[in-house]
Amino acid sequence: MIVPRRVALRSLFALAVTAFTGGALARIGAAPPSAGDPLAGGERSADGPVAFDEMYGGRHIRGMRGPSGEPVVLVDGRPLHLMRCADGGWVTPVDHYESCPTPLAATRAAVDELGPAPLSRYAAGHGGHPGGSPRGVHT
Amino acid sequence: MAYTRKNQRDLTSAERKRFVSAVLELKRTGQYDDFVRIHIDHYVADGEGKLRVAHMCPSFLPWHRRFLLEFERALRRIDPSVTVPYWDWTRDNTPAASLWSEDFMGGNGRRGDFQVMTGPFAYAGGRWTVRHGMTEQAFLSRDFGRPRDPITLPTAADVDEAMTERTYDTAPWNSTSRSGFRNRLEGWAQGQGNERFRLHNRVHRWVGGMMLGGGSVNDPVFWLHHAYVDLLWSRWQARNPSAGYLPKDPPPLGDPQYRKVAALHERMSPWNVTPAELMDHSAVYRYA
Ligand SMILES: [Cu+2]
Repeated sequence: MIVPRRVALRSLFALAVTAFTGGALARIGAAPPSAGDPLAGGERSADGPVAFDEMYGGRHIRGMRGPSGEPVVLVDGRPLHLMRCADGGWVTPVDHYESCPTPLAATRAAVDELGPAPLSRYAAGHGGHPGGSPRGVHT
Repeated sequence: MAYTRKNQRDLTSAERKRFVSAVLELKRTGQYDDFVRIHIDHYVADGEGKLRVAHMCPSFLPWHRRFLLEFERALRRIDPSVTVPYWDWTRDNTPAASLWSEDFMGGNGRRGDFQVMTGPFAYAGGRWTVRHGMTEQAFLSRDFGRPRDPITLPTAADVDEAMTERTYDTAPWNSTSRSGFRNRLEGWAQGQGNERFRLHNRVHRWVGGMMLGGGSVNDPVFWLHHAYVDLLWSRWQARNPSAGYLPKDPPPLGDPQYRKVAALHERMSPWNVTPAELMDHSAVYRYA
């Protein structure tokens, strides 16, 4: 690879000798908020149905606009985080590997996989910080 | 001295047992759930205008390589003989595979609620309570092959096709990159129905249940799946010694991916390591 071999080896060894105490990972805590625009490109008519209120798969699903115009979804009254994909579609934390054309389609796809239990706090926004934004790229 | 990651089908029953025991011990101490949290926290979709390091981006492969190394390190503190086995899903591609046996990963979820009822990770065993999932469901769930709209595991031919790529990744460095090994292997594709799920993504889809969402790490088969993904990358690297990680330089100001992806020498959360540092694993582990 283009990395000098010695550099790569040193880094992997560094990993192997790094003390890894139980719970160390737990301290990886809250990330600073990202400066990103949550809608990445703003509103488009291709957003599809954002407002909906229906029973689907035994769940009450509701879609609406949030305070800054972003689509917000509730499943049996609990928030389901919608994330925008580069192809214009949407994914939810329940079904991560499928970009759906509309918030409604993404919500239905999530309900299809949910099982009987209510949504958890993680479904509302990853790890408690909506968007799940990790800490920045450090250069 | 590098240790060896083996094909899970070649493990002895003693090796299977030791792997499972170490995973259960990690769960008991709470460390396993820290790994679940890390994966949840780093899922960022590529239309959100935020930095992505784990999915839908060039560093998908090095990020998961490091994630596996951290997990393996934690296992080996418990039992130094343990390494992460890999699941070659092109070969062990049915629910009848020994992978899913009672002494290893356990089997499929049951009808109705998809609850896994067999093996060490069944809820009733008392040692595998899901704490960080997308629902309040405390049991591990699976739905092999999604019977209501069936999907099969990727084939060796699918893998071979991705292996023909000669470039690591291409702009726009996300799920819409039309070529490049990374997105071929990660598995975002255009098309209809099941065509949209390729390789890595398709395996998550096939296992179903918790493997489908942000809490996929709750299913221990996550590690065996990603070890095989890592093996494929390693094999691709060996076949393409001059094809390095891309982008080498950060996308410049004005590029839509400016500050959204990790270039070769940029650091990835949460470990502050660069993709460059993860290119060569041969001093730490090898694949059998
Ligand atoms: Cu994965």
